[in-house]
Amino acid sequence: MASAPPPDAGPGVPAVEMHGISKRFGDVVAVDGVDLQIGDGEFFALLGPSGCGKTTTLRMIAGLDIPSEGRLAIFGEEVASWPPDRRPVNTVFQAYALFPHMTVEQNIAFGLQMRGIRGPDADRQVAEATALVQLEGMEHRRPSQLSGGQQQRVALARALVNHPKVLLLDEPLGALDLKLRQEMQVELKALQREVGITFVFVTHDQEEALAMSDRVGVMSDGRLLQIGTPAEVYEHPANRFVADFIGRTNLLEGVTESPSAVRLDAGAVVAAANELAAGAPVALSVRPEQVRLHRRGETPQGAPCLDGVITDATYLGHAFVYTVAISPTAGASGTSAGEQAATITARSETGSAALAAGEPVSVSWSPAATTVVAD
Amino acid sequence: MPSLTPAETAAQRRKRRTGTLIATPGALYLLIFFVVPLGLITVYSFATRTSTGRTSLSGWNLDSYERIADDVIGGIIARSAWLAFLTTVLCLVVAYPFAYYLATRPPRLRARLLVLVMIPFWTNGLVRVFAIRFLLGSNGPASALSEAMGFGTFRILFTPTAVVLGMVYGFLTFMVLPLYVALERMDWRLVEAARDLYASGAKAFWRVTVPLTRSGIVAGCVLVFVPSFGAYVVPEILGGAKTLLIGSYVARQFQAARNWPLGAALSVLVIVSMLVAVAINQRNSANAERTQGVTR
Repeated sequence: MASAPPPDAGPGVPAVEMHGISKRFGDVVAVDGVDLQIGDGEFFALLGPSGCGKTTTLRMIAGLDIPSEGRLAIFGEEVASWPPDRRPVNTVFQAYALFPHMTVEQNIAFGLQMRGIRGPDADRQVAEATALVQLEGMEHRRPSQLSGGQQQRVALARALVNHPKVLLLDEPLGALDLKLRQEMQVELKALQREVGITFVFVTHDQEEALAMSDRVGVMSDGRLLQIGTPAEVYEHPANRFVADFIGRTNLLEGVTESPSAVRLDAGAVVAAANELAAGAPVALSVRPEQVRLHRRGETPQGAPCLDGVITDATYLGHAFVYTVAISPTAGASGTSAGEQAATITARSETGSAALAAGEPVSVSWSPAATTVVAD
Repeated sequence: MPSLTPAETAAQRRKRRTGTLIATPGALYLLIFFVVPLGLITVYSFATRTSTGRTSLSGWNLDSYERIADDVIGGIIARSAWLAFLTTVLCLVVAYPFAYYLATRPPRLRARLLVLVMIPFWTNGLVRVFAIRFLLGSNGPASALSEAMGFGTFRILFTPTAVVLGMVYGFLTFMVLPLYVALERMDWRLVEAARDLYASGAKAFWRVTVPLTRSGIVAGCVLVFVPSFGAYVVPEILGGAKTLLIGSYVARQFQAARNWPLGAALSVLVIVSMLVAVAINQRNSANAERTQGVTR
């Protein structure tokens, strides 16, 4: 699938610009030829599984790792070889890295002090940053006396007090429990709008990335696979990895038959737009919420449709999740060798009639809701 | 508090009894060979020296302690403290970069380098001090080198300098190990955070690394200062007649001078000052545990 040109990062000089950035540690290639533009004021998420190179990418922007190759500019200035203390960026570290021997106030004031800002001016800025993250009254506590959420706020204030041009956040919510994390997602997003600083956010949590960011860059094995808005990467994943990593999906293996159809290994030929040559091995990505379940024989006209049997029904409160074992299409010619057992996960709102395991069903989906992905 | 069932009480008692049983041999050993002699020394320090040099255990007094204040002894104590201080500072300056280097190597290399640090520690201390005496002697290699380079022979042996050099060599390990432990536990991400917050490498070191390794610094200083202050072997072999230190002076009271009460009183003084140092160290490590760093 031809990759679409990366969406425009917006007008003006990009906040962060990477060209062919690579980083090797000995024989290990941590980051492999990343091209990336992050716009001024953008909330950008770098998303990928652990070890995909997203943190190394962030560390190169911060100056904590120096790229092995490539060009790196922050607001047009080439900074690839600059030490971290010269760069107009600050980082909220994973696990925060607060100075345990300093109070909250001293932690927040550290960056100002290092730049020679002292006295009433510094005090005022520290107070402002403390207020911004709602930590008034905690100034004289030590990090060890704070909860995880409070520590997170100190880390934010300690970075934001310096008014960095770019704020880098390395899994900042990873150490928080689910409820607090969801609250902080909302807060962090609001905070970013308030301060108007470019945020570059590293996470392995795709829901978090989709919920918070203006654009997402999906990384795997050191490569940047796709950049796009959350809707773009969710609805039109560039390849199999992105489709699988972002949200839940059904990947139905098959080969392209024509620009408008795919022959599934399960036997059926279904309508699916693609730009690949006929005969290319692909997978058809269908999101569980796009899958419709029907009692066998009640299938709508015109939609791709497979027959199967429900093997599992899970009640989630707001929805049912069904696992359907697809029955090979009887009479599909020349498929016996290539036929594979396929299962489809379907999701439906609880309001609809519940189906039980063992029930024969048909599944269908709208062709427009699917994406053909290659490796 | 909920009351315990008989079975629970019995189990607790058994546990306590086992603990006591295991500790008994060690406790007995310490009692006989450390506590009793220390008690004896304390008792002797209040005794009287008879005109024949014998110790009379009848007339208890503070005479020996009063003598500590006199100029000769005061001078010896001051000199001992000063040389111990110099030794401590030199050890710290030498050991910190080395421990830093050690702690930042890959783990496997670290283990090997640590063995290298320990090797001299396993050799006989007396032999090592005599080796230094040979090195620094007027016919030794150091002097020969200096002469060959045109600086003339140097006279360093039997001076306070030689004593400090010898003590630095002898006690360096005591400084390296606690510093290494502190630096090895150091969370280097904090240094990265400091660098990210506009600190230069040097500033990050002074503002983050040093405060966070303070427990190691204090422990190392106590561990070096304490034996340096009471050192006996090194000053005896490397020091001259003019470099009389408290360790040698105490020994002399028990031997040639036959003034056991004074020797005992000086010993008590050294022990008490060491206890104070150890107490400082313990409070320091308790603080370190509480805040993972320092209190202001």
